[in-house]
Amino acid sequence: METTTARPAAGYVHSGVGSSTDSLAGTRRWAMVLGALAAACMVATLYMVFFYAPTEATMGIVQRIFYVHVPSAWTAFMAFGIVALCSAGYLWLRDPRLDAIAVASAEIGVIFTTNVLITGPLWGKLAWGAWWVWEPRLTLTLLLWFIYVGYFMLRGAAENPERGKRFAAILGVVGAVDIPLIHLSVQWWRSQHPKPVIMRPEGAQADPAIIQTLMVSLLAFTLLFFSLMLFRYGLERLQTRAQALRVAPR
Amino acid sequence: MIAAEPREPAAVAAADTSAGRDEAWDGATSAGAPFLAQVWAVARKDLLLEARSRERLMSMATFAVLVAIVFSFAVDPAVRARSIGGAMIWVTVLFAGTLGMGRGWALEREAEALTGVLLAPVDRGALFLGKWLANMAVVLAVEALVFPVFGLFFNLGFQGSLAALVAVVVLATVGFIALGTLFGAIAAHTRLGETLIPILLLPLLAPVVIFASAATQRLLVGRPVSDVVSQLKMLGAFDLVFLFVCTALFGAVMEE
Amino acid sequence: MSGTTPAPAPAIAARGVEKWYGPLPAVRGIDFDLAPGEFVTVFGPNGAGKTTLLRILCGAVKPTRGKVSVAGEDVGESDGARRRIGLLSHQTFLYPGLSAAENLDFYARLYGLPRRRERVEQALLSVGLQDRRDDRVRTFSRGMQQRLALARTLLHGPSVVLLDEPYTGLDPHAAAMLRGVLERLKDGRTTVVLVTHNLSQGLEQADRVVVQVAGRWVSDEPRGDVDAAAFERVYTDRVAAAV
Repeated sequence: METTTARPAAGYVHSGVGSSTDSLAGTRRWAMVLGALAAACMVATLYMVFFYAPTEATMGIVQRIFYVHVPSAWTAFMAFGIVALCSAGYLWLRDPRLDAIAVASAEIGVIFTTNVLITGPLWGKLAWGAWWVWEPRLTLTLLLWFIYVGYFMLRGAAENPERGKRFAAILGVVGAVDIPLIHLSVQWWRSQHPKPVIMRPEGAQADPAIIQTLMVSLLAFTLLFFSLMLFRYGLERLQTRAQALRVAPR
Repeated sequence: MIAAEPREPAAVAAADTSAGRDEAWDGATSAGAPFLAQVWAVARKDLLLEARSRERLMSMATFAVLVAIVFSFAVDPAVRARSIGGAMIWVTVLFAGTLGMGRGWALEREAEALTGVLLAPVDRGALFLGKWLANMAVVLAVEALVFPVFGLFFNLGFQGSLAALVAVVVLATVGFIALGTLFGAIAAHTRLGETLIPILLLPLLAPVVIFASAATQRLLVGRPVSDVVSQLKMLGAFDLVFLFVCTALFGAVMEE
Repeated sequence: MSGTTPAPAPAIAARGVEKWYGPLPAVRGIDFDLAPGEFVTVFGPNGAGKTTLLRILCGAVKPTRGKVSVAGEDVGESDGARRRIGLLSHQTFLYPGLSAAENLDFYARLYGLPRRRERVEQALLSVGLQDRRDDRVRTFSRGMQQRLALARTLLHGPSVVLLDEPYTGLDPHAAAMLRGVLERLKDGRTTVVLVTHNLSQGLEQADRVVVQVAGRWVSDEPRGDVDAAAFERVYTDRVAAAV
């Protein structure tokens, strides 16, 4: 095919929608501000986790991993929600910025999902006496991890970057639509088996200090997510721009 | 060179290249094929190709029977095969079905026929549903083989309602193949090709595996149809959602 | 065709057509009107974006900017426009596993053509493949495949015919047949766009000669009485000047 080999002549003009000229300074500033807030909240969270929240009676010290586990799961689900919305938006409007937000969110979503999958078994070993238990939410998280790892494989393997963006967006939408169905199915599936004894620290009798600590931690993780997402978004946009400059004459 | 025609080239060319064009009919004013006729044209073409070569059917069926054999080696004889029949069958169907999803799109790219199809006034949804229909037919044929083979090899002694089993199989296959056809098309446009299909497909298919194998297992051991109604409903919901979503998203796969 | 097309609408028109693959341009702003019956040849070196242009003209590729209309209808959106176009590429768009007749029958169904069987037989006859109608395309020589592809292109009676390097890989017999068919397309109603880098083959039937370099039309002139040798000098100059 001769299509992609045409040599650009002088006077390079980029073609994408709202692509290369908008400044990323605002994005960077917001990423820093949110990052600073996230750091402050993180310090508060650490203090609360170790000095404020009481040690849970039945599970002891290991319960404190919960303040990382739950906010990670929350952040991951929020990230995949954003991926789904931006993917649908990208397929509709073809604005590369929406794609950049989707990639940024998906990448951070995978990291937080990994976090959930590491902290879950650490806690489960003591709570359930086994490293891995097919608890419905943990199962769903595991499947999500694979779906969004597939998202990146697909993006990288497409014949050209434009296709990669579209394909990834399709998977972003399909994956999000599938999440409730997978959730229902794994829940039903577990209900067919004898349940492990699950001690839920967020149970009704939980100490208010535990709830407060969890809330601060949730806030810290959410801020951290948006800060990282904006940094990553800026990076994605810069990458596109750098690529454009590489092929264009100076 | 197989130029079998001894005719004078010019004379042949003069034998009216554009017979149709000279008549009253005008391509541009024809109403075009209705949606369902387009679906059928695509499905018919695929089934014709399959009937000629039987390559997909044969490879999927052979693979499925081999998996059955491998299962019988792998499963401890002390385990009652009857208690895991549903699971073994659906694992086999899923793997065998996934195996065939890429080939259906590889056919379209051999002489870039897909480009020709996309140039025609064809609805993208009709193209998707046509491919889906043909894939359905092939996979259902494989399933029609897998069930008796497992029944025979593992002496399963099916006791439930056959009609309900058929309903489980059809409902599970509809959604499975909707996603399979979509991701088959996507994988055909990637460097990794068919290797990508199971990686993308299997996590998404968790609901199909769970409900189909549970329902099959219950029917296998002779539990009443009322025990599988909820699974049938869930499979039906999965089908409706993904038949719609995949048809709607397919247009974005076909763009260049 | 002329019956349904009011005289002022050009057979095919492009307005500011651009195509970028990410940051790489393939077509960089092309405008033209072609009247019904015009035969245009677009010359250009490899990588000039000729194939991309044709694919945009037939709606297979969406332009990044600009639009193409056929008889006043937008190519990207209108099935009416698609029905008026036929594209012959160096790829045949045929299924090697199906017979000649089955391939044409499939396309006739897709286009919703009336009197399908009759049309398919006529088309096979017109490219001299009626004796091989039930043989699989896989068994055909390159020349025969390309003849069948030609029958497929013209099956639905397009009023705009786009040809992408149609002579590539043809034996003399098939090339002679193709030449005859192109001659017959000059019926005053069919608009033809031929894209090639072969100067003598491209000049034969052309009414209008275009040179495309790096995604732009650098020259667009009536064919006149220029012979191949004279044109070659002009062409070389134009390409050199543009690069």
